[in-house]
Amino acid sequence: MAFDISTLDLDAIERREAAKHKGSTLKLFAAIGFALLWIVPFYFLAISIFKSSNEYSRNPPLALPEGIAPLWDNVTRAWELGSMGQAMMNSAFYGTVGASLAVFFAAMAAFAITRLDIPFRNGWFMLIFAGTVFPFQMYLIPLFFGYQKLGLLNSHMGMLLFYTAICVPFPTLVLRNFMSGLSREMDEAARMDGANEFTVFFRIILPNTIGPMTAVFLLQFTWIWNDMLFSTVLGNRLETRSIMNALLVFQGSYSSIGPNIVLTAALLASLPSIVLFFLLRRHFMQGLQVQQS
Amino acid sequence: MADVKVRELVKVYGRQLAVRGIDLDIPDGAFVVLVGPSGCGKSTTLRMIAGLENISHGELLINGKRANDLPSRDRGVAMVFQTYALYPHLTVKENLAFSLKLAKVDPADMDRRIDGAIEALELQPYLDRRPFELSGGQRQRVAMGRAIVREPDVFLFDEPLSNLDAKLRNQMRVEIKRLQHRLGVTTIYVTHDQIEAMTLADVIVVMKDGEIAQQGTPLEVFESPANKFVASFIGSPQINFFDGVIKQNGENFAFVTPEITIPLDAASYGGALTDGQRVTGGLRPEDIIPQGHGMKPDGEISIRGEITLTELLGNESLLFARCGSVDFVARMQQPRIVADGENLRFHIAGSRLHLFDADTEVSLRTT
Repeated sequence: MAFDISTLDLDAIERREAAKHKGSTLKLFAAIGFALLWIVPFYFLAISIFKSSNEYSRNPPLALPEGIAPLWDNVTRAWELGSMGQAMMNSAFYGTVGASLAVFFAAMAAFAITRLDIPFRNGWFMLIFAGTVFPFQMYLIPLFFGYQKLGLLNSHMGMLLFYTAICVPFPTLVLRNFMSGLSREMDEAARMDGANEFTVFFRIILPNTIGPMTAVFLLQFTWIWNDMLFSTVLGNRLETRSIMNALLVFQGSYSSIGPNIVLTAALLASLPSIVLFFLLRRHFMQGLQVQQS
Repeated sequence: MADVKVRELVKVYGRQLAVRGIDLDIPDGAFVVLVGPSGCGKSTTLRMIAGLENISHGELLINGKRANDLPSRDRGVAMVFQTYALYPHLTVKENLAFSLKLAKVDPADMDRRIDGAIEALELQPYLDRRPFELSGGQRQRVAMGRAIVREPDVFLFDEPLSNLDAKLRNQMRVEIKRLQHRLGVTTIYVTHDQIEAMTLADVIVVMKDGEIAQQGTPLEVFESPANKFVASFIGSPQINFFDGVIKQNGENFAFVTPEITIPLDAASYGGALTDGQRVTGGLRPEDIIPQGHGMKPDGEISIRGEITLTELLGNESLLFARCGSVDFVARMQQPRIVADGENLRFHIAGSRLHLFDADTEVSLRTT
């Protein structure tokens, strides 16, 4: 007899298929356990910012806050004590301008290495990439004395210069790999269409590299935002210091203030890069996958 | 409109010779197909004409003017690439307009040219789409449109159909031919597919190892292959080769193998035949005719073969057969079911035999 497709029990098939994919309960509980362990520090942060200093010292550290009212007070105190407004502006400047310039220079380098007929392509790449091979701390002392001589110490320009330079190698690696995956026939077509090298770079290659450029921009921005070492050494004045450097005050002269204020300051300091990540997350995720039509 | 001349064209990569001194004379409006196996230098030749590769030695003349050192954009050539090479971030319309914008063509003229291409290639429904939203055939058409709007003197095609499925390939092949007829632009087309070459070309240039093995009209190349390579490369299924010797008997010559003897018309060979000469005979599958299928050729030459495999193609069948120690393929018109192991008689169209010197592999025919 012929098979009648309409008699098929689709629900039963779906249940069977689903059953095959279901993991064991044990795995689920293990996963929940690890997840809890993972978020304990965040829990500590989340409750502490809602406690006044008095409340924090009175109750056990992991106890729930009595209300959310002290938050505003914590924020203003942290903001003022750390001069966070100025520091945020500084870091935003270093982060956006420095990372943008670095990514742009890296894109130019990647274009030259992958597309132009230049001698020692790999040599140039190795030279640029060597910047990330050595520990950054190695540069600290030579940079300090060099900056001192050139009068760049404690200047916005000096900080920007350093952050831009240090952020070039990694994007170069990423963008070089991405660009070598872009079809060469595409730029040949553009050349035949009348484009010169600059047109090929600006109008063909760059628009197709927006995804990975955004991704490396975010990573480099976060690196600059989170940097404390170089900011402490090269730009330690109030006018030039970065946001992470500003957090240091809570460790030194004001160390007697409670963890509730310190944690609030830390949270404030990390908010901008989180916000930026959320704004650009679509580009970031796209940038991680080489996609070609 | 332009004629293209190539003199002693050579391409060297390091110490490796990719193209070994090629001469081409392409008259205005001709459709020339460079065909050959991969690595034969056909694409390199095209890319040298396009200006995408430097010319190591020799001369390229477009419209009588030396173009060796002109940048691509000033040569008056437009190219359609194998991967289409569309700009992924631009819409179809922007892709078409790209070259015109760079050339600062005046807007009215730009619109006229773009509209012309859109109409010729039926791109109207896709104008605002990006390349990744198009199918292979649509992308192919956009790539052709991008070449057309430039109103070039010479069209260059680099294996433009090899990324399409078989059905679409046939369809696009016809479209390319039709378009070239209409526009009358000199066209140089590279392919490894001999069917494309046969169907599209006014002149076929068969290349091998960086040299031209033969050039001529499709019919010339098919009917009078200059050497064994061309005979084997052009024609599908491949021509059958038989190793044999020339036997002389008074005024008469014959091609003799253990399985078969084919009398030869000595005049066709201009006295090049000698008794005992080792030669390779070539017979195309359509010249080996199963008895009862198709016209019986003149002369009473036939062999018996045992069928080893049959390929049914619907309107015809390909019979793979064995006679003594040689395997051969024959084409069966108005096919019937043939069983493996069946013993059949095949008529041989002896006048259509191609003879090649066994050592030099050059054709012995003079007419």
